[in-house]
Amino acid sequence: MCCSHYQEERVIPAEKASGIFDIGIIKGMKFFDPHVHMTSRTTDDYEAMADAGVVAIIEPSFWLGQPRTGSDSFKDYYSSLIGWERFRSSQFGVKHYCTIGLNSREANNEALAEQVMEMLPLFIYKEGVVGIGEIGFDDQTAAEEKYYRLQLDLAKEAGLPVQIHTPHRDKKRGTQRSMDIAIEHGLDPHMVIVDHNNEETVKEVLDRGFWAAFTIYPFTKMGNERMVEIVKQYGPERIMVNSAADWGISDPLAVPKTAALMKLSGISDHDIELVTYTNAISAFGQSGQINEVDFNAVVDQSGRFEGNSILRGGQQPRIDKSSIIIS
Amino acid sequence: MFNYDVNNLREGLSVVIQRNISADAFQWLQGHQVVDQLSFVKGAFVQMPRRVGKAKVVFSEAESQQLKHIRPGFTIDEWTTDRLCRVYLLVTKGSEEKDKNYQLIEDLFSAAEMNEQVALYSALPVLPFPELWGKRCAEGIRSNIGSVLEAIMYQNPYPAEQLDEAAWNQMVIKAFFTEKQISQIQGLDERANKELARILTDYARERQAAGRGVDPMLWYLVAKFVDEPVLDAMKRGFF
Repeated sequence: MCCSHYQEERVIPAEKASGIFDIGIIKGMKFFDPHVHMTSRTTDDYEAMADAGVVAIIEPSFWLGQPRTGSDSFKDYYSSLIGWERFRSSQFGVKHYCTIGLNSREANNEALAEQVMEMLPLFIYKEGVVGIGEIGFDDQTAAEEKYYRLQLDLAKEAGLPVQIHTPHRDKKRGTQRSMDIAIEHGLDPHMVIVDHNNEETVKEVLDRGFWAAFTIYPFTKMGNERMVEIVKQYGPERIMVNSAADWGISDPLAVPKTAALMKLSGISDHDIELVTYTNAISAFGQSGQINEVDFNAVVDQSGRFEGNSILRGGQQPRIDKSSIIIS
Repeated sequence: MFNYDVNNLREGLSVVIQRNISADAFQWLQGHQVVDQLSFVKGAFVQMPRRVGKAKVVFSEAESQQLKHIRPGFTIDEWTTDRLCRVYLLVTKGSEEKDKNYQLIEDLFSAAEMNEQVALYSALPVLPFPELWGKRCAEGIRSNIGSVLEAIMYQNPYPAEQLDEAAWNQMVIKAFFTEKQISQIQGLDERANKELARILTDYARERQAAGRGVDPMLWYLVAKFVDEPVLDAMKRGFF
């Protein structure tokens, strides 16, 4: 769940006279976006991400922009993350992982939340589920706290990392509470990724040994110029960048674009790789579910049947979008 | 309840599996000390890749022949260890009660991710009560996930044995539509029928109108049902 909650109130500022994204700057680099809601995105986005070097992503469970009215909606949503969306992603050569959890907003519907909690054990042990997420606080209500705590216990029992959504309002306090409660439940900070950080929260998150994720999202979250400054100030350790692109105005190329900006700002290739690729794999890889050999798996799916080179599962052919002809 | 010698199959699969996974994993898979067998099956099915890995299964030609002998048409070619062990689990640890086993399989389907679906559809020809899964198989054909379709269509004897004509025809036309390798479908000759030939001929016409080709295997299924008007049209260069 991310960031465009104030869309209706927002006034889009005049175009900044900033640089054009030159994909050549990051040619040959590979990226891992550990937070992006691909069910809300188009095939154009998948193509653009693959072209920009995004080889793998994590899709956290979130709300759909409006509340669900029954538990079967949750079930079908979780199923789609490990089924159809995973397949759709594979057609573009992007390896798809997900985190499964009850988001904080819908934790406030307690009757429904109870049913979802019963369902979670069915899904969290599935292949390619790399954590419990995104969970945490939104309004910081008692119900949110209750289901956050229950899901921390579940993560601990399953040995899975936790992906924490920090609130938009009263953020600093909410972030502190999230960490306090995780510690109270006996979670190792190294198993917890605190997401949607900013300049105000990052220091404490890192000092306490948690992973600090930053969402590059226009208008309501981090801009990538600020992100560059954070990496310069704090270094690359335990920091990761994501797009949290979803159904709002957001950018699925946020990770490669931020890498390009870091490169132009003189941050070393080694440090860029840590914050846009390696750290996310180290953190979520603690689930035992991420194997870099599986990235770009499409390549070794050819030739499986007696030398026939038809790709298994069928990678999507490219179309020429500049042509007026559609055939 | 099984339409083949299940003990022989269990034995044959067990020999192959023992050689392809660790001793610990093999021991776990036997589920010897399990109290509640059905909840063991549900949990073990989901955890399979974590326990037994996903390497390609290695087996001999003799073993392959033996499996085909025990259960005609059944093959594990190109399977991975998790897929094989999931099928083995369902063949060895499912319920012997019809209703319970049906519920077990349906529960697994209802929360299955892609590879689990592949394993479940692969298991159809060796599950007990084979008559129960026709509708489920027809539902699988509605999938648009390539690997799931292939689990049903490729080297799987179940569809030809159990699908009614409408569902069988739907599978074959979908295989053409999704550009699958038609020759991997079992029972094409036995299940060829006039209605399928008509649908395929219409499909070929539609493709021709769009300036697109068809897999020549289509004519193999149409040939024996070609009637005078179609033949006449074909002679004149269209059909």
